[in-house]
Amino acid sequence: MSETLLEGRGVTKRFGGLTAVSAVDFTVQKGEILGVIGPNGAGKTTLLNCITGLDPANEGEILFRGDRIETMKPHAITRKGVARTFQIVQPFAGLAVRENVVMGALFGSQKSKKEVKRAQELADEMLAFVGLSDKSAQLASQLTLAERKRLEFAKSLATEPEVLLLDEVNAGLNTMEIENAISLIHKVREQGVTILVIEHLMKVITDLSDRVIVLHHGEKIAEGLPREVTSDEQVIKAYLGEKYVAMMKKLDEES
Amino acid sequence: MVYGQILINSILLGGIYACIAVGFSLVWGVMNILNILHGTFLMLGGYVTFWMFKLYGVDPFLSLPLSAVSMFCAGYAVQRGLINKIVRAPMFMSLILTFGLQLLIVRLAIYFFTGDFRSVQPSYAGFSIPFMGLSIPFVRISIFVLGVALTSILFWFMGRTRTGRAIRATRMDLDSAQLMGVDIGRIYAITYGIGAAAAATSGSLVSVGFAISPVSDVEFLSKSFIICTIGGLGNITGALAGGLILGLAENFGALYLGPGLQNAIGYVLLILVLFIKPSGLLGRKGFE
Repeated sequence: MSETLLEGRGVTKRFGGLTAVSAVDFTVQKGEILGVIGPNGAGKTTLLNCITGLDPANEGEILFRGDRIETMKPHAITRKGVARTFQIVQPFAGLAVRENVVMGALFGSQKSKKEVKRAQELADEMLAFVGLSDKSAQLASQLTLAERKRLEFAKSLATEPEVLLLDEVNAGLNTMEIENAISLIHKVREQGVTILVIEHLMKVITDLSDRVIVLHHGEKIAEGLPREVTSDEQVIKAYLGEKYVAMMKKLDEES
Repeated sequence: MVYGQILINSILLGGIYACIAVGFSLVWGVMNILNILHGTFLMLGGYVTFWMFKLYGVDPFLSLPLSAVSMFCAGYAVQRGLINKIVRAPMFMSLILTFGLQLLIVRLAIYFFTGDFRSVQPSYAGFSIPFMGLSIPFVRISIFVLGVALTSILFWFMGRTRTGRAIRATRMDLDSAQLMGVDIGRIYAITYGIGAAAAATSGSLVSVGFAISPVSDVEFLSKSFIICTIGGLGNITGALAGGLILGLAENFGALYLGPGLQNAIGYVLLILVLFIKPSGLLGRKGFE
């Protein structure tokens, strides 16, 4: 049996009267790619915010390598080895591409800590890894959307994470760019990084993930292999609505 | 000849203005708080220098490090202990908190130091250097040179050091900076400490060439506000440009409109800039 790297127990996040994430349990095994899917507003991004400490959970425990992290500050969680990217890319727009990545290496990574030169070397490695070496002197604000997404990868990889949380890396990309992004995710996994990926494109998640959990209205409604999950009636309901399920049933009965 | 002298005076005044505003700009830009305490730290720094001179005969330029270090510690503590609690709250909260502290500290200063205007008068106070038929006051040129030197050091610090990078990243994007492993609580406290130290240093310089009293903090605060708005918020070059512009405008304005209107000129400039380019002359979008 593989080892559990990241685990959530009854993670709950409320905003006033709205429960955005409701008693969600999850585990991420070392080396796997876990997909988290769900319609818009299902609580996927909120769950990531709880894990990374940007918006701490109201209830529940989050464990990373067996240590409780749910009350830790975001920077401390990063330094422990949890990194993430944002759905809406957030580069430091006024800094050069390379300087953006240096930030992660300089503050997030344990190895290169406090040494600007070592951090720059690590940043260059990461830029080469994601294929942005030739852009390293440009301002981050000059990159295309696809390039900015790759920059996000490089930034978070520069913190030398053990687990990488990806928030909708494919949103806004075209088919070609999505394929590139998927192969990049596989490449990251080959480096030994465990991945939790949020996605609302079914096709992408089934190609990508080893295992999938499905959120709907903040609750976990299904978990399992991509194949199983996508044929689950509740999941189809959540995605396509009750009417669609009823219609399909009627069609089945008639035929 | 009179224009040359006014030009020199303007530049010398502009240099000290830039120095006064730079810490205010930094704190506002990074933490988005309007730091009413800025003028107060400036005033206290001035008093450190004044009392060191008065009681122990320490040369005012030698007490600069003491002034800077003591106010850095005070600023660090104020940020960690108080402002940190409301830094995520709306800007109005920081205004109320720092205003309250300002009232408290200024009243205490009046109680202990009296409301008299004080000025450090070293033996070389009256010297001036003749230069192409003009005269350059020795104290003012020293203040100018030191002010520019310290501002340059701050510029280098922000651009090159590890902590400087963290401060800039925090200013650009709070969430991203945290996820890169930046401890923003610490960065905020250091930033605020640097802001207080910069204020105190300029206060020390002001206590030599000009005069200070516990209530002069408001005057320096309003100057800082005008300079930052003119030059553009959050960058050091903006503070330099704003300081020089205000220095020039005040001196030449006094020549043409009379000295009575000298202090009004800054506000006229402020309103003009807010109409024409609200982000400031060197400001970037998003810092309006």
